Amino acid sequence: MSDKKEVLGDSQRRSFLKGVALGSAALGAGLVSPSMPVAGLGQQGVARAADGRYKMAFIQWQPHTVPAAWSNGIKEVLDTQNNIDYQLLDGQNKVEVQVSLMDTLINEGANVIFLQPIDSVALGPSIKKARRRGISVITLNIDAAEEHAAHVEMNHYFGAMDIAKEMGNRMGGKGKVAILNAPPGIIIRDQRTNGFIDGMKEHHPNIEIAADQVADWSRKKAQDVLFNILTAQPDITGVYGINDSMALGAVDVAKQKGILDKMVIFGNDGERAALESIENGELTGTQYTDVYQQGRFAGSVASVLASGGVSAKSFEQQGKLLMPYTIATAENVSSIQPAQRW
Amino acid sequence: MSLLRRIPNLELLAFFVVLSVFFCFYAPHFNTASNVENLLSGYAFIAILAIGQSYPIMVRGIDLSIGSIVALGAMIIFDLVMIWEVPGYLAMPLALCVALAAGAVNGALIVYCRLQPFVATLASMAAYRGLVYAISGRQLFPELATKPIRDPWITGIEEYYDIGGATGLDQVVNLPWIPLSFLILIAVMVTSQVMLSHTNFGKNFKITGGNPEAARLAGINTKRTIISAYAISGFCAGLAAIILVARLTTATEALGNGMELTAIAAAVIGGISLQGGLGNSIGPVVGAFLLGIILIGLTLMGVSQFVQQILSGAILVGAVTYDLYMSKTRARRARALQSGV
Repeated sequence: MSDKKEVLGDSQRRSFLKGVALGSAALGAGLVSPSMPVAGLGQQGVARAADGRYKMAFIQWQPHTVPAAWSNGIKEVLDTQNNIDYQLLDGQNKVEVQVSLMDTLINEGANVIFLQPIDSVALGPSIKKARRRGISVITLNIDAAEEHAAHVEMNHYFGAMDIAKEMGNRMGGKGKVAILNAPPGIIIRDQRTNGFIDGMKEHHPNIEIAADQVADWSRKKAQDVLFNILTAQPDITGVYGINDSMALGAVDVAKQKGILDKMVIFGNDGERAALESIENGELTGTQYTDVYQQGRFAGSVASVLASGGVSAKSFEQQGKLLMPYTIATAENVSSIQPAQRW
Repeated sequence: MSLLRRIPNLELLAFFVVLSVFFCFYAPHFNTASNVENLLSGYAFIAILAIGQSYPIMVRGIDLSIGSIVALGAMIIFDLVMIWEVPGYLAMPLALCVALAAGAVNGALIVYCRLQPFVATLASMAAYRGLVYAISGRQLFPELATKPIRDPWITGIEEYYDIGGATGLDQVVNLPWIPLSFLILIAVMVTSQVMLSHTNFGKNFKITGGNPEAARLAGINTKRTIISAYAISGFCAGLAAIILVARLTTATEALGNGMELTAIAAAVIGGISLQGGLGNSIGPVVGAFLLGIILIGLTLMGVSQFVQQILSGAILVGAVTYDLYMSKTRARRARALQSGV
């Protein structure tokens, strides 16, 4: 009898553990959501739907302040056209989900697809397929390896060069710097890293880039990574996070270690939290871009392409638009108006 | 009627058909050839993962590491093709071997180290993901990260066949082109089902899962059976990796993240009993495509993604509850038979 109870107990424990896994599967089941509502579209990429309306959608990487602000900018422009249905779709930080979303939009005949690719290569086949169907793809910030209608991006390379120049000035032209980087596979990573390295070489050749580690765009991961870097190399006095979240993670570590006043920390993007951190005397600076405006530009391009009946097949080469920017520091951050903060 | 009862997963199939018909009427563009094509190509690899996942569950286990094995297999292909310029026809079998070995290691941890399957595969999930980052050619040679794989053996997997055109049926009805990945899935499903129902090796999984002690006393090598179950799960993850690499023309370090949960959900919805010892290879496939049509149908109807996740979870809870109810019913019947009532 007791044996039977033990067996039953084991079985219940197993079931409990499986239950824990399966509970999460409720979310997992939604992880491969392959499609989004694009009802009412015709089968031709550049054709309007029967009711005379255009369909456009933005496939974001995952919910974040940057794509949310782009989407607001895009929507602002498209809403005024009165004949465009627009929707923000979530890529759930998974390439396979973004690919599925692309496939659905293509097959349903969307007119324009805005895309923030998770990976510059992985979305290539889908972009190619869209082009064959005449659907214009406009990428935001992260370019794709496959040519498409247009790309609207922050000025990654030259902005990073200016960050290096400003950072080096504040470090007195000497010292060691750590880069908190993104995972490889995204062109933006190369642009923001190479721009920074080239900027240091050009303006401050005596500053050594002592560490360059991946922190997955994440504030939490950046904290862990920088903590380890500073343990190994405590003489590092400069940190460049290739986005603001990672730079703010560096600020957290510097505060925790009580060395914030000795550190020069720069981010990139210019999100609201970073600007506030600069105002609080924590983050040294960041490259600020008006992301609402970036979205508005992308929306304007899309509106012109769709209303002009321009097919993606007719583009000879990909268009590119670089956004103007400011290196925001304590000296000029107040000039960025509340309405421009995102 | 008795013939109908012999069809496996009848309730699930009926639910699948009813839902499909519902969405055909109420979800715009659901009943288009292009939508079916999307469904087939978007869920074939999930269905293969679900078939693989059904083996560990069948032997009273679970495999949480398949998402990481997908990434591992994909990165092996990436490294071999992009760094060492190994042709695809060699890289793919090598990746499959690594995936199979990774699965077998899971089984060995459970059998020889006596770890709970949940704990063993949770640990290997983290370890394999770490290994992916360690061997990532994209990290070692960042310039390769923005180059697509062009090997024709690999890109050829992402091929579509115009069955309607070949048979002349496209004159009558607009049929979807069939992706090669779906044909691979059919081959896997048939092979697996034949193995489960017609070979001793296959039957041993159910016997071991149904009652491990009785299986051991009956002379079945239960240790080898459990290791084989996890090896098959790994092998299926390797196949999914090949399909994904062909689809994406690259491999990413985060590939397959969270995919294990979807595969588990599909397997359980497909009638693989959490109590072990029950199931077939058709159910997980239907389960995977059922998840697919629900998500596609609801999104085409304009239902929010968050609501979809809640509904998917509710369906999964329903499947698990049904499984528990059925196992209690079976136990009651067995007791009644034993007592001669």
